[in-house]
Amino acid sequence: MDRPSERIEDTRSGSRGSPSGSMTSAEANAADSFLVRVLRQDGPGLTSYWETHRVAREPDMNCISVLQKIAERAETIEGRRVAPVAWECNCLEEVCGACTMLINGRVRQACTALVDRLLADRPGEIELRPMTKFPVIRDLVVDRSRVFAALRKVKAWVPVDSYLDMGAGPRQSQEDQELAYQYSKCMSCGCCLEACPQFLKIELVRGKGESETDFRRRLDEANRQAFLGAHAIAQVELFNLNPIGSMTARQRLDVLTGEGGVQICGKAQNCVKVCPKGIPLTTAIARANRAAVRHVVRKWFDL
Amino acid sequence: MEASRLTSLFGRHDFAIRRLHSLLGLMPIGGYLVFHLATNAAIIDGPEAYQHRADQLHKLGLTTIVVLEWSLIFLPILFHGIVGLMIVSRGKRNVLNYPYADNWRYTLQRLSGVVAFAFIVWHVFDLHGWLRWSWWVENVARPLGGARFMAEEAPATASAAIGRAWWVIAFYAVGVTASVYHLANGLWTMGMTWGLWTSQAARRRMNLPCAAVGIVLLVVGLGALGAMVRAGRLSNLPDGAAGPVRSAPAPAADHASPRVLGSAR
Repeated sequence: MDRPSERIEDTRSGSRGSPSGSMTSAEANAADSFLVRVLRQDGPGLTSYWETHRVAREPDMNCISVLQKIAERAETIEGRRVAPVAWECNCLEEVCGACTMLINGRVRQACTALVDRLLADRPGEIELRPMTKFPVIRDLVVDRSRVFAALRKVKAWVPVDSYLDMGAGPRQSQEDQELAYQYSKCMSCGCCLEACPQFLKIELVRGKGESETDFRRRLDEANRQAFLGAHAIAQVELFNLNPIGSMTARQRLDVLTGEGGVQICGKAQNCVKVCPKGIPLTTAIARANRAAVRHVVRKWFDL
Repeated sequence: MEASRLTSLFGRHDFAIRRLHSLLGLMPIGGYLVFHLATNAAIIDGPEAYQHRADQLHKLGLTTIVVLEWSLIFLPILFHGIVGLMIVSRGKRNVLNYPYADNWRYTLQRLSGVVAFAFIVWHVFDLHGWLRWSWWVENVARPLGGARFMAEEAPATASAAIGRAWWVIAFYAVGVTASVYHLANGLWTMGMTWGLWTSQAARRRMNLPCAAVGIVLLVVGLGALGAMVRAGRLSNLPDGAAGPVRSAPAPAADHASPRVLGSAR
C-alpha cells in the first residue's frame, strides 16, 4: 500500500533546443507518430482544457514513456510551447497505483497501458484524462488521499501492540489464505472507485479566513460521511479473515454498517471488472454484507 | 441547520434505512405484486371469474381493506419509492463509459424503479382514488378523472378505465414491465445485499431463477392486460354479442354496498 510518489516536476528548463526536441510537423507523419490528447488543469479548482501533442512512435512504448516524450518537447501540435504535462508514477510495474488515469476513457495504470495495443484499438490517437472521482491537483495528478482515509477508517491493519513475545499466532486455513491472498493484492490505485457509480467525487474549497486545521477537519468529516468504496470493503474482509485481525472484527464491522458503509453499494459491479489486480471485489462485498447483517443482528439482540 | 440535522439523521441510520428498503421490496411489496398480477389474471378466464375474485377480496369488509392496503401496500411502497428516489439521486450513472451487463442492470434497476413508482402513484389514483373517503372521492378524485374502479362492477369499470386510450394501455404495459423487471433484478441484488449468495459461481447460478420469476410474472401481467383490453372491446360491441361484461349479480347487498367511508349510498 504505497503512498503516491512525489510529483514529476517541471523538467522543461534547459532541455529545450536539444536535437531530439525539434521534430517538425512534416517529419511527424501519421505512420511514425501519433497524437496524444490530454485534459489539462493548471491547478486545483481551475477550469480544465484539452491540449494535443504529437509524439514520435518508438517500439514498446507505454503511456509513461509517452508522457516523458511530451515533457521532453513540451510543445503542442500548434507549435505552442507549454509547461510539461504533470503526472505521477513510481513503480512502473503496476504495483503502486500512482499513475492511475483515464486512458481512452478507461481507468487503468499508465505504466501498463501499452501504446502498440492502444493504437491497434484506436489508430492514431491516445486520450489521457485525470481520474474524475478525485480532486485534480494538476493535469493528470489527483489527490487520492480519500482512498487512504477510507483504509484508516476501517482500521485496515492487524493490531500488534505488545513488548512481549506472544508466541505463534493462530493458524489460518489454506482456503482462507488463498482468499486473503487475493484481497492482499490491492494497491489502493482507485480504479474500482473511479468506475463505481455510487462513489461520488468530493472536492472542497478552503474558504476565505478558514484555517488549514478547520479545512482539514471539514474534509475529514466529508470523507467520513461518504462511501468507503470497494477497496476498503475488501480490506475489511482481508483483516477480518486474519486470525489476529479477526479479534478486532467488530470495530471494522461497526464502520462497515455506519455512515458511508457497505449499504451504499448499488451492485453495478464495475469495480470487479476494472480492478487491474483481478481482486474478487464483488465477492468481498457480498461476504461483507453477510458479516454486516450478522453483526447488526448480534448488536440488536445483545448476542 | 434543520436540513443538515436531517441529513445526519439519515446518515446515522443509513444502514437500517437501506436494509428496510431492501426488505420491503421483497415483502410485502414484491409479494403483493405477485398477488396482484395473479388476481388480475382472472380476467383471462372471463369477466365472471374476475368479478368473483373482486367479490372475494371485498368480503373482507371496508375497515380490514383500508388497514391492509395502507399497512401492507401504500405505506411500504411510499417508503420504498421515496428512499429509492434518494438512492437514485445519490448515484452517478456511467453505463456509457462502462457498458458491462451488470452496469446495465444497475442502470435499468434505477430507471425501472422511477418509472414503476410514477406509474403506481398514477395507477392507484386512476383506479382507486388514493383515499376511500366519500368527500375526497366525489369532490377531488372523480372530478380529476381518478377513482374509476368500482368493485361491484369490477370487469366493466377496469376495462373501461384501462382501454380508454392507447396511451393508457401503453403506460400500463410499460408500468407492468418496469415493476416486474425491478422485482426480478431486485431479487438478485437482494441476495448480494443480505449476503445470501456470495461467491461468483453462486451469484451466476442465481441469475436463472430470478430471470424465470421475471418472465413468468411478465407473461401473467401482460396477459392479464391484454385480456382486460379485449374484454373492454367485446363489451362495446353494439349487439352485445359477447354478453355483458358484468354478468354475475352482486352476491349480497351488504358486501356490494358502501366501499367508501362516509358514503350515503
